[in-house]
Amino acid sequence: MLQKVIQEEKRAFMTGNEVVAWAALAARAEIMFGYPITPQNEIMHYWTRLAPKYGKSFLQTEDELSAGFAAAGGVMSGRKAFTATAGTGNILMQEPLSMAEMMRLPVVAVIQQRGGPSTATVIYSQQEVNLTTMGGNGEGLRIVYSTATHQELYDYTIKAFNTAWKYRFPTFVLGDGYQAKMREPLTLYDPEARGIQLVEQEPFVGQKGSPGKDRPPAQYRNTYNLEEELFEKLMSDVRDYEKIIPELAEFQSSGVEGAELAIVGHGVVFRAVREAVNVLREQGIKVCYFRPVTLRPLPVPQLKSLAGEVKKILIVESAYGQLARLVTEAVYGANAEIHTLFKPGVGITSGEVEARAREILQKPLH
Amino acid sequence: MSKAIKIMLAGEGGQGVQSVAEILAEAANEEGRQALYIPNFGVEQRGGVSLAFVQISDDPIGSPKFQTGDVVVALSDRAVYRTRQYVGPETTYIYDSGMQGAEGELPENAGRLLGIPAIEVAKKEFHPRVFNIVILGAIIGATDAITLKQARAAVEKKLGYKFAKEPSLRDLNFAALERGVGLVRTSPEPGVATRVNADSDGAGGKARAAESHVSSHSLTGGQS
Repeated sequence: MLQKVIQEEKRAFMTGNEVVAWAALAARAEIMFGYPITPQNEIMHYWTRLAPKYGKSFLQTEDELSAGFAAAGGVMSGRKAFTATAGTGNILMQEPLSMAEMMRLPVVAVIQQRGGPSTATVIYSQQEVNLTTMGGNGEGLRIVYSTATHQELYDYTIKAFNTAWKYRFPTFVLGDGYQAKMREPLTLYDPEARGIQLVEQEPFVGQKGSPGKDRPPAQYRNTYNLEEELFEKLMSDVRDYEKIIPELAEFQSSGVEGAELAIVGHGVVFRAVREAVNVLREQGIKVCYFRPVTLRPLPVPQLKSLAGEVKKILIVESAYGQLARLVTEAVYGANAEIHTLFKPGVGITSGEVEARAREILQKPLH
Repeated sequence: MSKAIKIMLAGEGGQGVQSVAEILAEAANEEGRQALYIPNFGVEQRGGVSLAFVQISDDPIGSPKFQTGDVVVALSDRAVYRTRQYVGPETTYIYDSGMQGAEGELPENAGRLLGIPAIEVAKKEFHPRVFNIVILGAIIGATDAITLKQARAAVEKKLGYKFAKEPSLRDLNFAALERGVGLVRTSPEPGVATRVNADSDGAGGKARAAESHVSSHSLTGGQS
């Protein structure tokens, strides 16, 4: 059971879906529940190929509703359970994951965004930001990591299990079809060999001792009769969530001081943003980048301070304003002008980001 | 910051486009370089033009797909049509010179057009199935994106299980690989159409070796 999946660090060259399967193993996940949907299918395929070798399990359910609820049941019985989905599957997944929010269940879900709305394309987008951050019928008490590279896909999948089990909120790794299908190098490692302590799982139900005598009763509910009762329960969760935001919110930025324009992007689009900023800065143009790594909770104080520092902000995303809505709300009241580059459902290259930045700064390429 | 070399391949399903892309990227990775390969994928299970994007660099690679390739390879008439948008004045455009009906469709804006008789060479000198290995050789010859040694190792890794059963396949594939390099390096030879546009010096030096008569033995590195 405690057999180490990765004996020593090794460089690998594989698809993002394969990376997720390895990371889940390295995080000592025990069972995956899933239903096929492109572009996440290979997470299931690799997991089912690898899992039996390490005594892990897999169950294909009849749809994503069942996969999400089964994952919730898995964690209640004390197993590190996870699921993965995309697109319309992510829509169905919102009902079980709302229950996970309500019952504070550490379900981990990996989302590989595809085009939307509806069936749309099986390829790629960043159009599942609204859904993944705020998709339930509640306040979005969940954690969402948006990855940009295969190394991060590995690192944050491991981290997602720790975050979920430590704080007891459902936790998402938000990837996309490009990250799912592309191959690039990364280093696989055993988290404990790097000093990353894996948070131990424990059962929610069937605990030892008598309830009310040896331990508080385990009472997990998603149904409330009284408004006041619900209010009290939710406000307690909201306070818990707000308290941990400073520990959870992550971002990456560079060159903010003295910059005129800040370019904001997340996920795989950040790769284009970073490249464009490097190229522009080499030419003496004062730009910087800011990338929220967590989309929920968003690094709000850092975004506010960014909007006070620069004159202009350019928000870039493969969606029509889903990240922009989050960012503009966070920087509300600041004087920085907001500009956008929206390409819903298609990839964005550094050349396009560079051109848009030049347009905004009125610095055409000679 | 060094620029990534961007290679885009397109062909019919079954022509081995994805294998070539994967071998290129794997070989670069084995050299310890940054490499990224992404196939174009859709809902279709069969048919359609198969596209692959490969980038190789010494620095972290940006977006997985790109607008303009340093090298664009089209292996069928439909692929020629599909790849036009990825061609710019610095693009080396490699196509199979035996294709019917594509001549008028070739991207005139390409920096360099390299027509090579890969299908014919594969069929007459080797075996039709090593066609994609000839193409892989041609890409290496035109770009120095990876070394021939690493290409051999990557082919071995990918096809080793077949070589184990039929050792003669190894020599066949390696010979096809070198023949592909030779097709672009020793041009013009009969059947090889080469044209360099006067106002362009190719893909920023990345396609520099194509005109010179370099023997495959002197291939040591492609790090530009």
